[in-house]
Amino acid sequence: MGEVIVITSGKGGVGKTTTTANIGIGLSRLGKKVIVIDTDLGLRNLDVVMGLENRIIYNLVDVIEGSCRLKQAIIRDKRYPELYLLPSAQTRDKSSVSPEQMKKLVDDLKGEFDFVLLDCPAGIEQGFQNAIAGAERSIVVTTPEVSAIRDADRIIGLLEAAGIKKNELLINRLRVEMVKKGDMMSVDDVTEILAIDLLGVIPDDEQVVIATNQGEPVVGEDCLAGRCYDKVCRRILGEEIPVTDFSHSEGIFKKITGFFHRS
Amino acid sequence: MSVPSVNIAKERLRSLLITDRIHCTPDAVDRLSGDLYNTVSKYMEIKPEDFSIEITRSDIHIRYTGENH
Repeated sequence: MGEVIVITSGKGGVGKTTTTANIGIGLSRLGKKVIVIDTDLGLRNLDVVMGLENRIIYNLVDVIEGSCRLKQAIIRDKRYPELYLLPSAQTRDKSSVSPEQMKKLVDDLKGEFDFVLLDCPAGIEQGFQNAIAGAERSIVVTTPEVSAIRDADRIIGLLEAAGIKKNELLINRLRVEMVKKGDMMSVDDVTEILAIDLLGVIPDDEQVVIATNQGEPVVGEDCLAGRCYDKVCRRILGEEIPVTDFSHSEGIFKKITGFFHRS
Repeated sequence: MSVPSVNIAKERLRSLLITDRIHCTPDAVDRLSGDLYNTVSKYMEIKPEDFSIEITRSDIHIRYTGENH
């Protein structure tokens, strides 16, 4: 049986979709059979981030309403060994799908895939309820900002209340030089406040913007964020890789800034 | 040199999370803390500086550091 993981955050714009795409691709590169599902009805994005926007014929709502078979809606990303996308509908609203329908869909997919990754919409309304309905594990994405961390705290409370016990934190867009200056919360500051297990840290990296422009992932590329996403994927598979503590080590700090200067 | 802004961020966040977690306003949190302090002080000798309240997601921990030992 596969594992169902929802990628969520509460606040919009912190990198849920980019994270879903990179973790999906990363896990597939590590030999897993993965399906990523865009659950943001009306605001379809995951296909664009992955560069698959021109291949959509059917979508999630078509599958749930029975307008097509599941196999017809799933897009295979041929660049990777076993990676599939179930796109969202661009023209429908959140009420087109119910949590029960989502749970059934995800339960069906669990039998066929090693990982089912759900890209959750921002907010805590029906789209969120739909996305978490079939999930047994979550990745809460946040950036080191007051508003994003506040929303992450709220989301963690809601996930726990929904009976999802394995909730892990991914801190995105950490700016090492600002942490050093005392102008951005460090990894320790954030984990102390949110008190859930840390899955990983993705430093702010322009390569993410460049890759997204091109509809390509950073995972697997030789850049800082790419290597960090790869580590996140390995941790998901149970490998014990220590999280680089970007805030304290002078040596690592120098290495990272050196890298930034080079690129 | 100015104060690192991260301290301000952490302070603001802490106060926000407490009010979010127990669904009440900062003012209500202050009154709750005052009432809890008064209640505890009926039974043991405490001073405000030895008394702190910490609100986690679903629990309220009352912490005090006594002197008479």
